[in-house]
Amino acid sequence: MSPFDSRWQKLVALARQAPADPRDETAPLGFATRVVARAAGRPATTGWALLGHLAVRGLLVAAACGIAAVALNYSVLTSDQSVDYAVVDSVGDLLDFS
Amino acid sequence: MDPAEAAFDVAACLERVRQRDQTAARQLVEHLYPLVIRIVRSHLPRRVSEEDLAQDIFLKMFTRLEQYQGNVPFAHWVSRIAVTTCIDQLRAQKRRPEFRWADLSETEAEVLDHVLADDREATPGDALAARELVHKLLGQLKPDDRMVLQLLDLEQKSIAEISALTGWNQTLVKVRAFRARRKLQKLFQDLQSKEKS
Repeated sequence: MSPFDSRWQKLVALARQAPADPRDETAPLGFATRVVARAAGRPATTGWALLGHLAVRGLLVAAACGIAAVALNYSVLTSDQSVDYAVVDSVGDLLDFS
Repeated sequence: MDPAEAAFDVAACLERVRQRDQTAARQLVEHLYPLVIRIVRSHLPRRVSEEDLAQDIFLKMFTRLEQYQGNVPFAHWVSRIAVTTCIDQLRAQKRRPEFRWADLSETEAEVLDHVLADDREATPGDALAARELVHKLLGQLKPDDRMVLQLLDLEQKSIAEISALTGWNQTLVKVRAFRARRKLQKLFQDLQSKEKS
């Protein structure tokens, strides 16, 4: 054991000798009633509810990713692509027998 | 099984609570309050009311009641909720106040001085000051580090018990305890160097 460890162990051993907390450990008056009333207004968390909650979060993340993808590629989606076809349609020119 | 738990008949009470019996729910809270408040008082974060924290723990207990399978005693299951809720509250504290020698009471400084110098056996009267001092020192650590040292060194729980209470595996508990002690050592060294300067 290092010198520090032995000092630390000495300190916590001394701390453990302190008298127990003298404060009352019974529930304050009305505490249980208040907690039960609040708990009654809350829905219970089941495995399916947790799964549903995670699914909703997943859906929101997917939607955000979709919107970001559209926003980033907006210029490509709205550009006039017929011009590009006209420029690169060399095969069409070759086969044009008119 | 815990004698108090056996005398109370937790299983029958839980069955009634599941059938929405509010009297049984109140009895359950009153029965578990001493256990919960002891955990809360040992790990209470700054500026948080112990009653508010105890209420949060009981509300979590009721909302998760359907998940309790009966594999462990109910008191252990509730203890785990209490410990993890305390860790969450400690994590929510943004910043720990800087620890200075001047913040210590005269007795705390004396106890620390003697422990660091290793020059005499402490007297029993130093015990309260030592407990306060240990809490102040642990308060400087990150919540997980603080929790592991408090459970291991102060409350003398085994690695397996800490693992069950926190949900961390046993290797993680050992690694956290080792790292936390190294951080504490650094804190001791800083205190010593500041005191000398």
